[in-house]
Amino acid sequence: MPDTPHDIQFPLADFDRSQLPEDQREVQGDDLLQAIREHLIEQFVGQGGAAEVAVTHDRVIIRWKESDKAESLTEQATNYLKQGNSEKGVATLRLALQRNPDDVGALFNLGMALGEAGHAGEALELLQRLVAIEPDYPGAWVALGVAQGRRQLWDASIQSFREAVARHPQDPYAHKNLGAALSQTGQLDEARDHLKAAVVLLPSDAQAWLNLAMNLEQSGVTAEAEIAYQRVITLDPGGHLAEKAEAGRNRITQAKFRKAGGALRQDVLTYCGEALSMFETLPKDEVQRITMEIAMLGAKGFSVNDPSKKYQLRSLPGDFTGLHLLCLEYAGFKIIDPTVDIGFDISAEYAEACRMRGGG
Amino acid sequence: MPFTPEVQQLIQQVEQLSNRPVHVMEETDMKARATVTPARGGAPGHIVRFRPGSPSLDYLVASQLQFLIRSFMCPPAERWDIVSTDAERDAGIEAMGLGDFEVPFARMMIGSIITQLRSYSIGCRVDDWIWKNLPGLREQQEAEIRSQLAENERALKPETRQKFPKPLVDANTSMNALYATLWGERLHETRFVIPFVAMGYRGKVAELRAILDELPDEPANDRIMIERWASVVGLAGSFHFKPYTTD
Repeated sequence: MPDTPHDIQFPLADFDRSQLPEDQREVQGDDLLQAIREHLIEQFVGQGGAAEVAVTHDRVIIRWKESDKAESLTEQATNYLKQGNSEKGVATLRLALQRNPDDVGALFNLGMALGEAGHAGEALELLQRLVAIEPDYPGAWVALGVAQGRRQLWDASIQSFREAVARHPQDPYAHKNLGAALSQTGQLDEARDHLKAAVVLLPSDAQAWLNLAMNLEQSGVTAEAEIAYQRVITLDPGGHLAEKAEAGRNRITQAKFRKAGGALRQDVLTYCGEALSMFETLPKDEVQRITMEIAMLGAKGFSVNDPSKKYQLRSLPGDFTGLHLLCLEYAGFKIIDPTVDIGFDISAEYAEACRMRGGG
Repeated sequence: MPFTPEVQQLIQQVEQLSNRPVHVMEETDMKARATVTPARGGAPGHIVRFRPGSPSLDYLVASQLQFLIRSFMCPPAERWDIVSTDAERDAGIEAMGLGDFEVPFARMMIGSIITQLRSYSIGCRVDDWIWKNLPGLREQQEAEIRSQLAENERALKPETRQKFPKPLVDANTSMNALYATLWGERLHETRFVIPFVAMGYRGKVAELRAILDELPDEPANDRIMIERWASVVGLAGSFHFKPYTTD
């Protein structure tokens, strides 16, 4: 019933001051009129229309116009959340639910917002209500599964994601989350099917590729895992997902090192030899300065598989590959603090380099 | 028969329960849009009159028929009308602060507020039943409800409220506030109740609603509900229940 104006008027004397915030109940004169006006405007927010409130010295006048175009309370709240104003968004969603406890949009958005804010228990309760009221609400089962996952309720979480996949087989987030939850609980083979489906449906989603890559790595499918990790690095250059992907690739490289058994990597042997040769000529504090700079640069992991010389140091001239810096770092720590484990085992190559130089 | 199948079914139900026919009559010059006159004093049947072409006719007639059905669902000995003795009416006039008004006006006003007491209390049950059981009439019902809500809003105007004594205004507004609350919730538009809350009627709404919620929705309880609502709005002792028969 759009665009129907209503005039609501009542005597100012009949206004119940107990409706006002406690600190405004005793105000007088214009302050009182203003307090009543603000209170009533707030009450009409999100009522699907537009309210003008005037408070004179003898009456309260509300002119109300309904409109189909007006934003609902839930729509307003969603916009607040999109703008990053989560406090106002959450408060508005709570108001929407107070007015209509079955507002499925409000249940979904409040459940999501509270889950992200760390209030997993309340989020879970809201999302369970949502699926009970409207089980086909888009994203509801995925959101519920995520909330359950946050509380480590893996069986329930997997069940919710399965429900999501069954109801919406083309929902990429259902596959992505089911795959991740199954991986989390060690069900790698089934998980992989869903993670592969997720990257088909979400080819530009770095997180989906990372989930798949980690699953493949855990499953020992290293060649495919490396490709998937590389995809993450391409999609999220410099981001924290790329760092994880880089770490994954390094783990695979490391594993290959170990798998090679007694065979030494010639390139590593050469780098270690060069490092020892250089560090022998330098005072220990200089070795420490170089080593610490490399350690800080490599805090997020070096691209040890990338043959390009993409790294520079302030303490040494030239360009370096990731593997080269790793060898310098390893050799440096052996001199300044041999107890440090840099997380990459090139001990065999380093020992051989020392032996070749006649050291220990 | 100009009515929808739902209304025709209700007419049949009234006829079966009361063992009296329902006569449907068109009246082009009647003021109200529709009325239902129950059979009394040996009248051959109940009479439904309506003004042709009026909006929401099906809902209006269905609503009045449902009042009748609730009455006839009770055993004959438990059917009743609301009436007032002179003493009860005078007590009501006093209680509603109408003592200073001309007697005919005061009597008219006390009659109106007692009618509202009956129509709003049982009306909650009737409207709820129609909403749940006759979805085909929902559009008409919503239009009429909205119209009533708008009229109740207009009654809040200071110049209207100042014309009448406060006890009477409070009795009327308390019931209107509950009506706004129930329909605000059902239509998901709580704005209807905001002015009533602002005017301090939340407590009365809670009292009336508690009675509505506590009593099972059975016609035999309608009389109890009216008595208990009357206590809340200050009308206890202003009327009594007289047995109703069609004879």
